Amino acid sequence: MSKLNKIPRKSTWVDMTAFVDVAFLILSFFMLATKFKPPEVVKIDNPKSVSSENVQDKDVLKVSFDKDGRVFVSFSADQDGREKAQLMAEQLSKQKGLNLSNAQIKSFINFSVGGIGVPITQLPSFLNLSEAEYKQLKQPGIPVQDTLNNQLYDYLNALLTGTGGRKPTNIMLNGDNATKYPYFKNVLAAFKKSGIFSFKLVTSLEGVPSGTPLYKQQNEKK
Amino acid sequence: MGADVSAPDSGGGKKGPGVKKQARKDTRVDMTPMVDLGFLLITFFVFTTTMSTPKAFKLNVPDDSAKDEEQTEAKASGAFTVMLSKENHVYYYEGQLQADGSNFKSSNFKDIRAEILKKKANTPEKDLVVIIKPTEEASYKNVVDMLDEMQIAVIKRYAVVDINDAEKTLINATEGSSPPAGAGGQ
Repeated sequence: MSKLNKIPRKSTWVDMTAFVDVAFLILSFFMLATKFKPPEVVKIDNPKSVSSENVQDKDVLKVSFDKDGRVFVSFSADQDGREKAQLMAEQLSKQKGLNLSNAQIKSFINFSVGGIGVPITQLPSFLNLSEAEYKQLKQPGIPVQDTLNNQLYDYLNALLTGTGGRKPTNIMLNGDNATKYPYFKNVLAAFKKSGIFSFKLVTSLEGVPSGTPLYKQQNEKK
Repeated sequence: MGADVSAPDSGGGKKGPGVKKQARKDTRVDMTPMVDLGFLLITFFVFTTTMSTPKAFKLNVPDDSAKDEEQTEAKASGAFTVMLSKENHVYYYEGQLQADGSNFKSSNFKDIRAEILKKKANTPEKDLVVIIKPTEEASYKNVVDMLDEMQIAVIKRYAVVDINDAEKTLINATEGSSPPAGAGGQ
């Protein structure tokens, strides 16, 4: 009799095993299909272009400029990049009479992965900063405004003197959308003066618009 | 006959008919924390990685120190000049700039592609050259977009040159502003 009054209880327990499988599948996708964003000291918004050639990450010299026109130089973190960073530091020290110590040169090589953007006169004190201070500092950028005092040329010249004229395999120009043309022109002037005529611009991918000659050309190849 | 020794099923085991009750331990594992962990890891990867790697746009610049005779002559009729001004304004003219500015036209980034393609269709390839002249107020994005248009339209010869005074005056007249006092503003 008492059984008739008993409220039938239904189990509300959900088996989560399937959820775990899905979660680890999504995780595997992200681990395999993406790459870690490289550490950048300065935020740069690249313009879009239809180029689909991939950016290389070996033996790269990258000159970046942000929307305020602050110019930075950086090297890739691989063996070639470090070697070039060291050569640039040593030659700058010699040519500009900075007398950088070994610790400062090591510091230069370290900072060159994220980017170095200080006028040459400030270089010694800049290289004495610790890793944490370096990350905090808002660097003033290498001055390129004045065509007579284009310090980017000095940096590049130091590198090329050090390598005996050998240029890095990949020279990239990483510019922000909003930077005004004069900064770009002066960076190009420093490049031309150093004998660099062929380089690559860092851009984000944009699809080729249909109906255009390039689109037709790409479809003919297929 | 004997006890049922198959794998323990969820629900705690039913009593078989006539079988002695066995003390069954509950072997279920609650997977909820595992799911939390999984999603935490996913969130980490979503925020620290990027799916679109930046692409490289090859650019070759001419050597300015090359002697004038060695530089190829551009036929005036095949030339198409595009000027980039502030706030994404675009101006263009075909051939040489007329003294009265009659062939000076204004456009924007969307329509300029049609104009370039039109010029390309009307000009023999060996004469076609596009000259890009950015003003001091043009942004890097404008210049790269225009270089991109060269790729899209497959223009083989183009150059980025400084703007001259006649063109600057025309642009200022069209935009209705007074000419800038000095060079290189911020």
